[in-house]
Amino acid sequence: MKIELTLKPRKNPFIPVEAEAITPVTFLEKEAEEIKIWGGNREKNISEIFEVKTSGKADSEKDVEIEINGNCFFVKRVGEYMKDGKITVNGNIGMHCGNFMSGGVIEISGNSDSWLGREMKGGEIICRRNTGHYCGSGYRGEKTGILGGKITVEGNAGDFIGEFMAGGEIICKGSAGSMPGAEMLKGGLTIYGNTDTPCANMRGGTCYILGEAKDILPTFKKTESVFNPDFKKEFIVYEGDYANRSHKGKIFVAKQDRKTK
Amino acid sequence: MSELLVKNAYVIDPINDIKGEIMDIAIRDKMIVESVGSSAEVVDAKGCLTLPGGVDSHTHICGTKVNFGRYMSPEDMRAGRGRAQPYMYPVSGYSVPTVYANTYRYSALGYTTVLEGAMAPLEARHTHEEFFFTSLQDTMANTLFDGNWSVMEAVADKDLKRVAAVVGWTLAAVKGFGVKVTNPGGTEMWGWGKDVGCIHQKIDHFGITPAEIIDYLIQANELLNLPHSVHLHCNNLGKPGNYKCTLETMQRTPDLNDKRQTLYMTHVQFHSYGGTKWSDFCSKSDDVAWMLNRKPQIAIDMGQVMFGKTTTMTADGPMEFNLFRLYNNKWSNHDVELETGSGIIPVLYSRKNLVNSIMWSIGLELALMAKNPWQCMLATDNPNGAPFVKYPEIIALLMSSRYRNEEFSKVHPNTENRVHLPSLDREMDFYEIAVMTRAAQAKALGITGIGKGHLGEGAYGDIAIYPIKTDDIDPAAEYEKIIKGFSSTDYTIKSGRVISRDGNCLLNGNNRTIWVKPKIPDEYDMSKDPEFIKKFERYYSVSMENYPVEEAYLNQRNICIETETKL
Repeated sequence: MKIELTLKPRKNPFIPVEAEAITPVTFLEKEAEEIKIWGGNREKNISEIFEVKTSGKADSEKDVEIEINGNCFFVKRVGEYMKDGKITVNGNIGMHCGNFMSGGVIEISGNSDSWLGREMKGGEIICRRNTGHYCGSGYRGEKTGILGGKITVEGNAGDFIGEFMAGGEIICKGSAGSMPGAEMLKGGLTIYGNTDTPCANMRGGTCYILGEAKDILPTFKKTESVFNPDFKKEFIVYEGDYANRSHKGKIFVAKQDRKTK
Repeated sequence: MSELLVKNAYVIDPINDIKGEIMDIAIRDKMIVESVGSSAEVVDAKGCLTLPGGVDSHTHICGTKVNFGRYMSPEDMRAGRGRAQPYMYPVSGYSVPTVYANTYRYSALGYTTVLEGAMAPLEARHTHEEFFFTSLQDTMANTLFDGNWSVMEAVADKDLKRVAAVVGWTLAAVKGFGVKVTNPGGTEMWGWGKDVGCIHQKIDHFGITPAEIIDYLIQANELLNLPHSVHLHCNNLGKPGNYKCTLETMQRTPDLNDKRQTLYMTHVQFHSYGGTKWSDFCSKSDDVAWMLNRKPQIAIDMGQVMFGKTTTMTADGPMEFNLFRLYNNKWSNHDVELETGSGIIPVLYSRKNLVNSIMWSIGLELALMAKNPWQCMLATDNPNGAPFVKYPEIIALLMSSRYRNEEFSKVHPNTENRVHLPSLDREMDFYEIAVMTRAAQAKALGITGIGKGHLGEGAYGDIAIYPIKTDDIDPAAEYEKIIKGFSSTDYTIKSGRVISRDGNCLLNGNNRTIWVKPKIPDEYDMSKDPEFIKKFERYYSVSMENYPVEEAYLNQRNICIETETKL
């Protein structure tokens, strides 16, 4: 089954849309006329905001494919609690995309706003361009962020990527803002570009930084230098964070090639 | 003039000794009267269980530390969300929910009167502001005196009348209701990074012991003739082996008042621990309950722990620090100048944890072993033991030994060797539950005289009608029906108006604040005492003129209890 959702022109495109209903399971169980989403403070039928085209049939969530077209920068919570299937976003997507998802794939060809894949448990999110802050983190006050699955950001990421990360994998092909992997517990974070103040108060997990890492906290212990065959680079290893009771985390910062000036 | 007639109600009203009779209740203008005219609005109870409006004699729902709990736990707001409805604001939160969530949930449980367990006098304004928005319950605030320098200095001078004068002046100034003593002396010692061991350890600088503070405050309380007794949170909360300290405190309590208890000991579950360390931790509820049964001058509340997430908050700063070291989670600590302090941490009580399982068991044991239900009240020290929304489950646990056994089979397997719960087969009836949830509380707080906690003529029209037909339900077997029945009332009526129906609130605001103003003769008026004024000028961050809570902060609909003092 394939569902094509095209955002209709809106009078005020800045009024947020709470679209936690856009998941494969809702389209499998309900007809398009029954699906309600919130536009601002009003509950609306999905067809008031999106043009819905459905084709084919599906027996399970796995066979459901949702395609979202248009600039959905104010459409939030797409793919929340998604278990299987696929969502393709041709354009930008708003905050909290892929919250708590445990399976399936979300592919975003444009930018995504903050909280991408927050507290996700499994599945995969691919963002072809930039993402906002708190990618793969836990929400305010929560003690665990991403628990499993994989997030790939091909552009840059904002601050606090992988905060409270407790499993899974986050790959940022561009640069990340401040404090990536803060309070990290487990899992792997890889940043190809530059960043600063990585992994503050980390308790476990690993963080690879291939670009420049500014301001590594003084509570980390510089230990050794290792060669990683995957990246074909020499890395300096920092252990920590010694500000915390358990300090089994490791930051690998690539040795910068000084010759290329 | 508004009139309301509750028809065909199966009434249990322990204070008026009504043990289940089908009767009608007439209310005219807030008060219960003998009869009303034929034009009165009629509520048909259909023979369902009808009790006086619930009274919670120890809860933390308003004030600075509750608010700090909200700051600290934004994740708590993810649970318990409710949309706005007519007469209801949107709500969120579970253990430290928004003010409106507290008031709506209490009204759904049939509670119409609540007592905030601990209000720091200096921060009374905040408490009163939140009271104003606790729109469906009458509220009172116990005022903290555990580390009050003026009180401790007067105790060191052995000047009972001065203790009474300070207590009286402060209560009237901050519009408080009763005297709360939290870990007496402990918070003051915590200012120096220490704690008091038990009631006979001397407090630095003042050279007095917690026992003396308790003794003097109990006597001062009686001198001031306050409606409620001293409300005591004993020393050594939550430490293995603290039952000795609790027993000693109980042992030395005199019997000074023939109308009510002389000492209200709160959340005694946390004070009935045996053993010497966490590894040999066990229940000593039998000893505490034995002592309670011998001392009619003491009333306690259970402080029941229920499994799940919650937030602990108390004025007992050192105890919260110990908990923080145990959990290594968030922690907040607060010092209130010359008065008291507080600490807050979020906790998770888990069935898989042996200590938590024993704690859960101790609360129930205390309630079941206390022979007189008037002496042991049902409370969780909300939200320390569990949020108050768990009360229906506790009621079901007390009423059904089968439910207890089923729950007991799910807790940590080693619990059995450390507790007495499996040997207890007492099952409470609806009358005892009515005593434990409203009548005993109203009596202990001394507010039956102003018409709370009963359904006699002249009482406030506070009524809770639960969808329970007592003849059709066997509480021992059908405990699920009991939980469901007590979770949401058919009608909650407060002051003659229906405030909640099937858990949905129907109006916004007819709450009152109850406060106490002892009549103190001029020679004991602390506001004219040069030494007391000097203390304010020297140590307090506010001046004495700005200290008392103004009328503007007090709920406009308030009840002032003026007491004749023996000063």
